Amino acid sequence: MTRRALGTLLGLAATTACGDIANPIRLDFYEWRLIVPAVPGPGNDSLSFHWPRNRLPVRIWVEDAASLRDNIPTAIGAWRQAFLYGEFDAVVVSDSQTADVVVRAGAAPGIEFSRMRLHSALAPECAGATDLDISDDQTQLELPIRIYVDPRSGPTAPGLPECLALTTTHEVGHALGIWRHSGVATDLMFSDPAVTAPSARDLETAEVIYHLTPNVEVAGP
Amino acid sequence: MRTTPLLPALLLLAGVPGLEAQTEYHARIGAVGASNLLRDVIVNEITVRQSIAPMIALGGSLPIGARGHRIGLEATVSSGKFHGSESGADTDLGTLRTGTLLVNLEGPLYRAFRWRVGLGGLQYWPPDRDGIFTSGGTTRLLAGAGIDYRRPVLSRWDLMTSARYDFHRFSTEELERRGFSQTQGVSRVSLSLGLSRSIR
Repeated sequence: MTRRALGTLLGLAATTACGDIANPIRLDFYEWRLIVPAVPGPGNDSLSFHWPRNRLPVRIWVEDAASLRDNIPTAIGAWRQAFLYGEFDAVVVSDSQTADVVVRAGAAPGIEFSRMRLHSALAPECAGATDLDISDDQTQLELPIRIYVDPRSGPTAPGLPECLALTTTHEVGHALGIWRHSGVATDLMFSDPAVTAPSARDLETAEVIYHLTPNVEVAGP
Repeated sequence: MRTTPLLPALLLLAGVPGLEAQTEYHARIGAVGASNLLRDVIVNEITVRQSIAPMIALGGSLPIGARGHRIGLEATVSSGKFHGSESGADTDLGTLRTGTLLVNLEGPLYRAFRWRVGLGGLQYWPPDRDGIFTSGGTTRLLAGAGIDYRRPVLSRWDLMTSARYDFHRFSTEELERRGFSQTQGVSRVSLSLGLSRSIR
């Protein structure tokens, strides 16, 4: 009887102790790299970037206009959901001089200011753009990244608040490393997005980016 | 049936006359270490683990039968860092608190040594609703065993040294939502030292 009880206990212990947690396979992501003409030197033509751990939290300065002060924290929260292991975090800071990302309301200035511009959200109500200042050899990113969110319609225009919110989150997606638009309209990183939050594909893409080695690094200390 | 595990606690709290003299209480401090909470692969292998953490244990027991067996409750609380590791680099994920409650059966083993086995629960209290704990903490079924060594230091008090092993299976709502299947077996070992009311 005792032997049987012991056997049962050991069997139960073996059953409960066996097997480990099984992780999902992440395959539902899209191309995020910025494709550019290759230059002499490293010759990279597909630029990949994510914020390194030692730069976290990313410091974001936000202009007090176009609901940016409300929409940027929401955007940070929306993208943080992508990550399980503290890969990305950002905070709003009060000093634009020390910011890693500067977010302004209004139309983006002339392209000569920046080397590369990601245009997006060209809706009638609002538009967005993210400027990346990348070195000639395409290996260094000069900070800050500059985001522009432009309310192109009047403040009472229908759909403007929603357009500003989703455009802001879309541009923050570029700033965290998704440097290319999704080809699927149900993704927030589609070039003219209609959804209000990052899709599962957007989040999985962001998650995967932070576990690959980038070929563009933040310039300077 | 549901009230059975609560009986010793209620008796301890109520201070039932006659049982008070046979009631044992103890308090210990120590440290607890745990195996990996999680193993994931996103390009590289990622593991999440708790650091060795300080622990406080409080408990009590009542005699059952004539062979020196006792039944009791023991609660522990620990608080320590937890971190993710990927390709040799660690990321601090904050402070993770855990609490356990075990209903224990214990008995004499050899001289001043006593064995104990127990069943109960373990609660994880994460620092924030973030990462693997985005949906909050989790409660897991816990099974444990251990050995106590008692050495008299005062007329009614013993120095109590304890070694414990416990096991549970870990997952969180957030991990399940993201498609993790099954659960991770987590072993924990603790060593602690404290005072116990004598059971001689």
